[in-house]
Amino acid sequence: MPNSLAPNSKQISAAQLSAIKLCCQRGDNQLFDSVSFDVSAGQCLHVTGPNGCGKTSLLRILCGLNQPESGKVLWQGDEISGNNTFFANCAYIAHKEGLKNELTAIENLRYYQQLDSRRDEVVLDRLLAKMGLLQCADLLAQNLSFGQRRRLSFARLLIAEFPLWILDEPFTGIDSSGRALIESLCVAHLENGGGIIMTHHQSLNDSPLNRYRSELALAKA
Amino acid sequence: MKNTLVLYFQREWQLMFRNTSSMIQPLVFFIIIALLFPFSLPAEGALLQKIGGGVIWVSAVLATMLSLESMFHSDYQDGTLEQMLIHPRSLPLAMLGKALAHWTSTGLVLTAFSPILCITFNIPNEQIWVLFSGLMLGTPSLSLIGAIGAALTVTLRRGGVLIAIVILPLYIPILIFGAGMLSQSAQGLEVASQLYALAAILMLSLTLTPFAIAGALRVTIN
Amino acid sequence: MNPLKSIWNFLSSTYHRLGSPREFYTISQYTTPVFGFLFLALSLFGTYFGLFVAPADYQQGDSFRILFVHVPVAWMSLFVYVVMATAGAIGLIWRMKMAFVVTICSAPIGAAFTALALLTGSIWGKPIWGTYWVWDARLTSELILLFLYFGIMAVYYAFEERKTAEKATALLAVVGVVIVPIIHYSVEWWSSLHQGPTVFVEGGPKMPPEMLLPLAFMAVGFMFFYGYALFLSMQAKVLDNERKSRWVKEIVSDKTR
Repeated sequence: MPNSLAPNSKQISAAQLSAIKLCCQRGDNQLFDSVSFDVSAGQCLHVTGPNGCGKTSLLRILCGLNQPESGKVLWQGDEISGNNTFFANCAYIAHKEGLKNELTAIENLRYYQQLDSRRDEVVLDRLLAKMGLLQCADLLAQNLSFGQRRRLSFARLLIAEFPLWILDEPFTGIDSSGRALIESLCVAHLENGGGIIMTHHQSLNDSPLNRYRSELALAKA
Repeated sequence: MKNTLVLYFQREWQLMFRNTSSMIQPLVFFIIIALLFPFSLPAEGALLQKIGGGVIWVSAVLATMLSLESMFHSDYQDGTLEQMLIHPRSLPLAMLGKALAHWTSTGLVLTAFSPILCITFNIPNEQIWVLFSGLMLGTPSLSLIGAIGAALTVTLRRGGVLIAIVILPLYIPILIFGAGMLSQSAQGLEVASQLYALAAILMLSLTLTPFAIAGALRVTIN
Repeated sequence: MNPLKSIWNFLSSTYHRLGSPREFYTISQYTTPVFGFLFLALSLFGTYFGLFVAPADYQQGDSFRILFVHVPVAWMSLFVYVVMATAGAIGLIWRMKMAFVVTICSAPIGAAFTALALLTGSIWGKPIWGTYWVWDARLTSELILLFLYFGIMAVYYAFEERKTAEKATALLAVVGVVIVPIIHYSVEWWSSLHQGPTVFVEGGPKMPPEMLLPLAFMAVGFMFFYGYALFLSMQAKVLDNERKSRWVKEIVSDKTR
């Protein structure tokens, strides 16, 4: 459980993200229009839809990487652009894992730890052990398998407390034990008052996340 | 909490030491370009001595420019740059750290090596110091201004030529003052005013370019 | 009502109307021909005065008359750059669509003015200096300016996504405008063979009024030419950018009917 890693995780500030009438264009194509929803504590928003309907674009807008064509994203009532409170509270895990090939697994985590520097330092060895990566701690990231890299990028979520997790296809390329691990992390996060927004092309009906789940279906443009 | 600039600078250094070829390549390129000139010109010692400073400056500009394309490339490819864009830490400060680290691996190395090239061009000793101090003040601006071009073209598949088109005109003042110092001092004139000009350009670059680099990244990465 | 306030209200409402592509298109339908007409009238008048009324220069003879084109286009080459960068900054700060269109459409026009200034300058240089090209400060600055324009155009066309291209171009234009004065002074320091400034100097112009008048006409005429060319190319750009919107489809179906 994250509690054992970060003693302060009970004080996690409640996730409260609202999207208001988001509209996204790519080139001349309108990907989606007037998408509105709220994600609050303990809620997992599952974004579904066919390929090319703008799932990744939506997530990138929600985490502040892209600007919507119109509409806005609010974090606890404030717009997210240039809002450092939001950026400190949101973690985005994308297809690009954000790992440096030239650094070892533990060095990659240490970089994020220094970057996020919170007062209560997480013991990175324990974090790696939890993710099943202890034996690869000193391997260069370029020598890790795809699944191991995914696990490593998820370890980043536990370095500091991020009330909101934005996960792009979190279960891609990962084995069943890895998936179970990530699901259990997500459940613990949601139980702790966190919020999750994720894309996943398969149904989550059989997943432990189903209990917390609400679905947002994007239609093909 | 560790300063963003220091943190980023250290990270760049750690990465550079894992991949030393990125440090050696610009230096080798710099030397090769400079050594092409004697082969393409009449073999006269006096001529080489006269143009040597300019040749070294042009080579330094080209070597810096060549290394710019890869400046943000791997950070963009592996997603660490995007993580930085949505981080509460100051992006301009991080980019300043990155550009300064880039300078230490290119401009500083080239500058340190330039006296040896000066000897092959028969440049007199007192002028070697002029060239050295000019490069020392000028090359950091090359990295800082060049980083704007690198940031603008990071998402493009073939950005190399575009960087050259965009950045080379902006390098002209630095080249003029840097190479101009040498011809001034060859005539026995003072070079302090050009040094001040290079220092002024460096101060402007240090204060303004980090914001332009950060702005360029926010514009192009989406 | 306070007249100043009503002027301000008029200006601000015009500004906001010009900020919408559709309103711009409608307004520019009327203003563009006016600009074209003013350009023609002023430049014809200026050309006549410049060629036939103004006296020959006591040193340069008739060859100086190219000045009536050379000087205005050289002024315009800088003026367009400033407009382009200002519009770029407005676009980046206030996220105004039309400002980007001004930036993008100004670049080729500015490049053309710059190329023309270089061309007329070198033609003028041949009889005066005995050579088409000298590495003189202002010629060199102008050449660098041409390359800055090329760089800005190259950046715009390098991106596939239009919005990214617009913002990247605007950013480069803004960066360029900071560096242009530095380039100018560095080149000035580097070498100066060119004759000193004769129009904007302390104590008024050092030029007889018969020469100054056609020069002023030509300068204002070229300003209107810029407005004319800019609005024409902006109209095309707006139609292209908004080609999916209903009002553009209506215009297209009206024209093709």
